[in-house]
Amino acid sequence: MNPYRCVFRMGIEKSLEYRVNFLLTLLSAVFPIVIQTFLWNYLYGNADAAALFGYSHDQILVYTLLATLVSQLVHTGFEYQVNEDIKNGGLNKYLVRPVTYRYYQLCSFFGEKMPQLFLLLIVATGLVGFSVLVLGLGLTPLRILAFVGSLLLALLLNFFLFYCVALLSFWLTDVNLLFGTVSVVLVVVSGGVFPMDIFGEKIALLFRILPFGYTTQFCVNIINGKLDWGQVGTGFCCQLFWIAAFALLTFWMWRRGLKRYVAVGG
Amino acid sequence: MIKVEHLSKQFAYYKKGIGLQGSLHNLFRRETLTKDAVSDVSFSVEKGEIVGLLGPNGAGKTTTLKMLSGILYPTSGSATVDGFVPWERKNEFKRRFSIVMGQKNQLWWDLPASDSFYLNKCIFGVEDAAYRRTVEELSELLEVRELMHVQVRRLSLGERMKMEILAALIHRPDILFLDEPTIGLDILSQQKIRDFLHYYNEKEKTTVILTSHYMRDIEALCKRAVIISSGQLVYDGELAAINHLMGDKKLLTLKAAQPIAADRLVTFGKIREQNGTETVLEVPKESLKQTASAILASLPVEDFTVTEVPLEESIAHIFKKEVAGL
Repeated sequence: MNPYRCVFRMGIEKSLEYRVNFLLTLLSAVFPIVIQTFLWNYLYGNADAAALFGYSHDQILVYTLLATLVSQLVHTGFEYQVNEDIKNGGLNKYLVRPVTYRYYQLCSFFGEKMPQLFLLLIVATGLVGFSVLVLGLGLTPLRILAFVGSLLLALLLNFFLFYCVALLSFWLTDVNLLFGTVSVVLVVVSGGVFPMDIFGEKIALLFRILPFGYTTQFCVNIINGKLDWGQVGTGFCCQLFWIAAFALLTFWMWRRGLKRYVAVGG
Repeated sequence: MIKVEHLSKQFAYYKKGIGLQGSLHNLFRRETLTKDAVSDVSFSVEKGEIVGLLGPNGAGKTTTLKMLSGILYPTSGSATVDGFVPWERKNEFKRRFSIVMGQKNQLWWDLPASDSFYLNKCIFGVEDAAYRRTVEELSELLEVRELMHVQVRRLSLGERMKMEILAALIHRPDILFLDEPTIGLDILSQQKIRDFLHYYNEKEKTTVILTSHYMRDIEALCKRAVIISSGQLVYDGELAAINHLMGDKKLLTLKAAQPIAADRLVTFGKIREQNGTETVLEVPKESLKQTASAILASLPVEDFTVTEVPLEESIAHIFKKEVAGL
């Protein structure tokens, strides 16, 4: 078996090893959805929010519900492990074996993500069903396919993005606190809480250029029909561009960083 | 097989004053200092040899092993392991060796060790039949067959160490670096691992560099020792010859019918220990025969044994000499 396929499989096994933790994943997706629903119902019930944000109540609800789910799906967590490996010498075991650390972590991350992805997709199906039947969202099989494709690329983009931040450990030794900050900022600027275009066209344009929106907002806008097929195509190109850019950056950081690696501990 | 020439490694570090004040001071001003972890070390190891790499804590043993396994880049000097420069990290080189670190876990903590073995099989491209044979044979020898499917985090330290060694040998490496493989283990586990390594080296002719603070490991496995102190090589030679450095002394343990006065004993040699009727005397090797005859003729001795000065003492003597000489 290909070693990376084996790592992917072990990632799945690992996440299934702790059953309660695995089930809590489901709850972790449900709670923010409930909170978001209450928040937007309150805002739209007490002001002319539609005029303010440019989104109708139903549109913003569909957006935030889907965005919460997508940001849960693309959420990482491996960066703490990378930081730990670099800080405390755990990297040694990868350096002495014929494997590439980046791909090893990527496959392990995707593997650990799979059961969670499966569960969250069940929630997503329910949510999309609700959006179609109750809120009148129009959906075609092609859009669903494009959504799933964009989701996989978003996962990849988020992986490389956080991998870059994690590699800062070579220079800063401990970047654990930075992960929390980056994570919170990224959820917001990626459109994981609300769509960034409620701040106006200039901000929306800025976020169409920056990579962050391609981890969440782009995927949601595919399925809620906000983007035409031309925009979807451009979006996919941007996603691929940013993945390549961050992948190259990680390659460079890794080579430079390894020269600074001190492999502490016996 | 292994050739090390003038290898050096420097680390940058900084000091922190005591307490919160030190931490606050550190926020604004840090003085960077440099430590010579390994300094101008040269030695070579032949194929199939087991060499003990000895030295006190912080001497540079682990740093040397890390450079030889390609984990660290050296500051200067050169080294080749089976014809490869370790820090170039070529995959072909990585398939030739393994490193086991007693204080670092290489197995997947949340899964049974058998999963990590299989992963190593995939990583090193080991054939199915060879993999099965290796796991069966080694798990039998190390007595861990029943534990293969237990989560690694639930294993005892000794069991985990055996699994670590097994995982490191899945691809049957030609070279094995062992960094304190018996650290923290009970006597039985230490013995088991020693016996296993001895057997494995005899059978496979694997080249081994071993570091350990347990002299029993070194005595049981190594004919040759390379001693490093404060980053510098201070001895490279036969383990048995280390006693020469102590002035070729032997220990005579006497058991008498009744206690003997110290002033009578001191005429035969230096008293190291005296406990009731039992005495340990240190005597020069060249006069051992005459001294033993004289003791038997003039003292009420019931039993006596001749032993070497413990290796620990000889090595500690080398360490101290080096520290004093600095």
